[in-house]
This record gives sequence, structure tokens and C-alpha cells, in this order.
Amino acid sequence: MVRKNSLIISLLLVATFAFGAPLKSANGPEKIEDFTLMDYNGLEHSLSDYKDSVAIVILFIATECPVSNAYNERMENINKEYAPKGFAFLGINSNKAEFIDRIKEHAEDNGLTFPILKDEENVIADRFEASVTPEAYVLNSEFEILYQGRIDNSRNESEVVSRDLNSALDEIYAGNEVSKKETKAFGCTIKRI
Amino acid sequence: MFNLIILLTGLIILIKPLYISFELLAARSIEVEIITVDDLGHLIEDRNGRPLLVNVWATWCAPCREEFPDLVKISNKYGNKIDVVGISVDFPGEIDSKVIPFLKKHNAVFTNYVIKVTEPEDFINLMNKEWSGAVPATFIYDKTGNQIEYLVGKRKFEEFEKVIENLR
Repeated sequence: MVRKNSLIISLLLVATFAFGAPLKSANGPEKIEDFTLMDYNGLEHSLSDYKDSVAIVILFIATECPVSNAYNERMENINKEYAPKGFAFLGINSNKAEFIDRIKEHAEDNGLTFPILKDEENVIADRFEASVTPEAYVLNSEFEILYQGRIDNSRNESEVVSRDLNSALDEIYAGNEVSKKETKAFGCTIKRI
Repeated sequence: MFNLIILLTGLIILIKPLYISFELLAARSIEVEIITVDDLGHLIEDRNGRPLLVNVWATWCAPCREEFPDLVKISNKYGNKIDVVGISVDFPGEIDSKVIPFLKKHNAVFTNYVIKVTEPEDFINLMNKEWSGAVPATFIYDKTGNQIEYLVGKRKFEEFEKVIENLR
């Protein structure tokens, strides 16, 4: 065990545990390379722009998927609850037939205030190996995946008993390791090229 | 001319009840029950010597809707060789408003259930631990209940047929 005999070592330990241990997934990547995508207003966003956040929450979403749409309000509520705590939220739309204008209209109609990026030719969905909408990924400052999977256990909000994304964010914010690092997301298949 | 009108009117009066009764018969023949994950597990296990094809779908899922006519064809052609079961992930409360009308539209008379699930991972892991939960997905079991094929995404009649033809 490391002796906490210097401020530097203590700070390093705090930093390490604040971001938790990355996901060791049998099915997908453990880490994502930095990428840049454009949002529906034409602004570029890179993962590295958000390196100083407590963690980066990536939400693969869709405009026409009823499951994803059932989560619009919940996603925005999570954004409103955790963004003030220092978490960054980025939506990504990778569906081949959902274009910028529709993504913007959909975000406005549903009150989604976090940036939503267009992943042309599903390059980023492929890197994450994301397959459905909605699906959440939480990354630390090294872009290692701390949590991936569903937002909660039910499309029907009245039947939710397990708020998995919230729990992961709470644990990260508290400086603890995420106890449930991977869940199975359920929803609509991402329509790839 | 008058006789002809009388004759046609008589025919219409005779045929209409028959037409209505055929419609009612078709409506009655499509029933959808709610199934739990445990009961679905029993359904998969209790094979009684017959293979099984389970298709997981939803009325809100565009590729599921596109795939569905091929499943109906499979059921019609191979119903004597394999049990075909649809598992809809629509809400149980949508059986009458969405699921049954969709099945009627496609003349889908094979067995269909709506899954009642509290913990989606129980359902996903029952079907296949590698399955992401994306629909449509099709799982084919041999006559002893062993899963021999797992197909994710929209598939064609020929793909289903190939697996079924290779069943022993």
C-alpha cells in the first residue's frame, strides 16, 4: 500500500480513484481515441475539449426510435442534474437516415439542451461498438470507458427500479469505482451505412 | 331488369353475413398473451421433439416490420416442422391497440406473445448472453432445446430457410 507521505502522491491517488477503474469489457473497447464531430449548429466538438470534466457522458440517441424518444425527458433530466456537478454530456446520432436538420428540430421539440453530434457514416458508433439507441457510455479524462449500457431498466418510466446511469455517475462523483460497469442496453438498432 | 336487381340484392344479403363471419373468425384466430421471462424459458425447454424459432420484434421497430412478412412465410411453409413463436417487446398494454392489428394485417396466425419484463437483462441473457438487446433478433433451437442459431437484425426468408432446412 502506498504511504500517503506526500501531497503529490495523495493527489495522484485521489485523481485515480475519482475516475475509477476502466471497464474491462469482453465485448467492446476499453478506451476510445479522441474524435471530432460536428453538432447540428455546425460547431465542432472533440472529446479532448471535455478532458477537464468529472467524466464525459456519451449518449447514442435517435430521432425516430420510440425507445430513445421515451428517454428524452430522462436524458435531459440527467443532464440538468449532473452537468452542474462537472459532467459533460454529448449526444451522438449515428443513424444513416437521420440528418442534421431533423436532429436539430428533434432536439428543440424535446427540450434536449446538451450538444448532439452527427456521426456521419457511423464511424464513431463503430469505434464504440454501439449497437442500439439509447445507449450510454461514460468516459474518464483518458477516454477510458467507466460505464456502458442502458440508462435504466425500463422504457416505461413508471416501472424503473434501477437507475444504472445515475448510479454510475453518483459513484464517479463520489470518487468511487463504478460497481456495475456494464449493462445491456435495449432499444432500436443503429441504422448503419 | 327488375328481376336482376332483386337477384343481386338477394345475393348481397346472403353473402354479407358470410363475409362478416369470416372477418370475425380471422379476428378470433389471432390472440396474443403476455408471457414472463420464466415462462418463455419453459417454452424453450419444453420442446417435445420439435425445433423452435423465436423472433423478438416490436411494432415500433422498422426493420422488424420489414422482416415480418418473411417470418409469416416461414411459418406457413415450415409450420409442420418447426414451432414459430413471436415475442413482441411492445408494452403489454398495447396488445389490442398495436400488436393484434399488426398481426392481422400480416395474417400472422403463428403464436405470438408480448413479453412482460422487469429486468431486461434477464430476458436478454435467457435468449443469448451475447445479444445486445437490439431488435429484431431471431433464435433457433433444435428439437432438444439447444440454440443452434442466433440472428440479429433484419433477415430474409432464405436465411431462415437455410437454417431450418439444416435442422435434423
